[in-house]
Amino acid sequence: MKEQQSIPVTKVARSAKFVKTGFQVGGNYIKHYSKKLFNPDLSRDQLNEDNAEDIYNSLSELKGSALKIAQMLSMDKNILPRAYTDKFTQAQYSAPPLSGPLIIRTFTKLFGKTPGEIFDEFNLQSENAASIGQVHKAKLNGKQLAIKIQYPGVGDSISSDLKLVKPFAFRLLGMSEKELNVYIKEVEERLLEETNYELEVQQSIEISKACSNLENVVFPTYYPELSGHRVITMDWINGLHLKEFLQTNPSQELRNKIGQAMWDFYNFQQHELRKVHADPHPGNFLITPDEKLAVIDFGCIKGIPDDFYYPFFSLISANVLADKEKTIKTFRELEMIWPSDSPIQIEFYYQAYREMIELFARPYASETFDFSKNEYIESLYEYGEKLTKVPELKQARGVKHFIYVNRTNFGLYNILHDLGAQVQTNKFKPHIS
Amino acid sequence: MATADEIKEAYIDYVLTHNEQPKSVYIFAKQLNISEQEFYNFFASFIAIEKGIWSGLTAQALAELQPQEVWSKYTSREKVLAFFYAFVELLKSRRSFTIYSLKKHSGKLSSPEVLDDAKIVFENFAETVIRQGLASTELADRKFFSKRYKDALWVQFGIILNFWINDNSAGFEKTDEAIERGINVTFDLFQRSPLDNIFEYGKFITRNSKFRENMRF
Repeated sequence: MKEQQSIPVTKVARSAKFVKTGFQVGGNYIKHYSKKLFNPDLSRDQLNEDNAEDIYNSLSELKGSALKIAQMLSMDKNILPRAYTDKFTQAQYSAPPLSGPLIIRTFTKLFGKTPGEIFDEFNLQSENAASIGQVHKAKLNGKQLAIKIQYPGVGDSISSDLKLVKPFAFRLLGMSEKELNVYIKEVEERLLEETNYELEVQQSIEISKACSNLENVVFPTYYPELSGHRVITMDWINGLHLKEFLQTNPSQELRNKIGQAMWDFYNFQQHELRKVHADPHPGNFLITPDEKLAVIDFGCIKGIPDDFYYPFFSLISANVLADKEKTIKTFRELEMIWPSDSPIQIEFYYQAYREMIELFARPYASETFDFSKNEYIESLYEYGEKLTKVPELKQARGVKHFIYVNRTNFGLYNILHDLGAQVQTNKFKPHIS
Repeated sequence: MATADEIKEAYIDYVLTHNEQPKSVYIFAKQLNISEQEFYNFFASFIAIEKGIWSGLTAQALAELQPQEVWSKYTSREKVLAFFYAFVELLKSRRSFTIYSLKKHSGKLSSPEVLDDAKIVFENFAETVIRQGLASTELADRKFFSKRYKDALWVQFGIILNFWINDNSAGFEKTDEAIERGINVTFDLFQRSPLDNIFEYGKFITRNSKFRENMRF
């Protein structure tokens, strides 16, 4: 299950919500087809309308929790993407595990051999479900391997699901199609990339190589010759997920060590590689018995182009915020303030976004930062709350890169808060030329 | 002297080139340089050739699966899944012909005539698998209905075939999905479900309330 543990509401309640929507949507199909029996001319419009309505209802009922964070992660009211990701990857794909015969078929199609012929041992029972696939354990030449297998047809569903909810997004966000499309496209691109396992293997190898010098961060070895467009083969890593790790009551020292590894991992990527693992949810990490952080999923990688990197990070590290003129100029570059804005609007958005950037930048402001303090996380939530209430902030603003860069960093802050870690934040600093 | 296989291949070649059956057995045999009698030694009609191809493919899929080591370990659900995966894989080698054959002979409400023999082979297989499933309690034994399970599987056979001939996805991945989902849904219905429990609970209540009435009397 791919879940955002950063969302502070019981997962059970949230998934119940998604399940309910699933039922309703299923019910809509039944309704549609039974109507169609008597009236063959009935178009699918009604059906799509019904579906989207239920999805929309489900989304708005989630408002208190998931949505709020999602909104904040995407900086303005353009909440849909995250809600989508959650909803569709969880509700749709975690449901039925692949059958044994389909797993065998996937292998024979890709490699011309059954898993039994390729590996010394292969367990047809899956170990756990990932968002768009499942993980199996195998053995080859004495090595334990993890085999990730993707469900068929995932890519197609993503695109069609995004299309389905689009009309409601306009209504919900009060945006024009053109404005919204930019964001939807960005999300669609990332989601589709996630279904491209060939790309994932390539990215995994590239990034784990680039990050190999980082302290206390480890990666599994990937085997491209045993991977393909729906299969990834890598080393099996023994370790605990964040939640299990916290249950073992780790010492503060150990928490800091893991937190630091996580901080370094992300900031090294952002500032040195300009490419970032944009999915900091706890399921993508393991804490190994020798106290290292293992990164096990590179499905979602966001490249950070220069025309976003320089203005955005100059806000954070170059003391730009102290200078109102410069700040507004940068906000304009990032499309947070539009040329058509009136002076009152400029002032309004300046204040609102300044607050956000300040929050974002706070961990960078000192050499070390204590993420365990509730105060900081609470002010993040408060800001998120405000975003949902102020109508002017309903409009989606900012260049599309904000979606994933914000999601990454706020997601990281949330994990570090859960870890209760104190982190040295000046290790990999933004490069502002 | 022509063999059955040669006649079959020549027939396939003919229909795919001309997109219709030969005008008559006589003309077809003449083209092949064989006598009409030789043709009839093997096949009673053109349709019989097509039937034979379909049942041959069905039987071949089963023959390929059964020697596999995992086969005996599969549940009945997995056996049916494995059959369809093997079957559509075989169909790939004859895609043009299968599309021709199905499109030519469809249009009626029931399953096309060309599948008659394949149906016998498939239902034989389905019955064996269902019997196994009932014996191992994987499937729920229901009065009247368990006898109809094989019909439900035959319906899936039709759905999957239909899906496959219209499938444009790379590697026919959509068909894989259709098989996975369709067979799972069908077997979910075969399994013991809340509906069985509701039914039995209803039976229990009616029986026992009668019992109570009798007592009161």
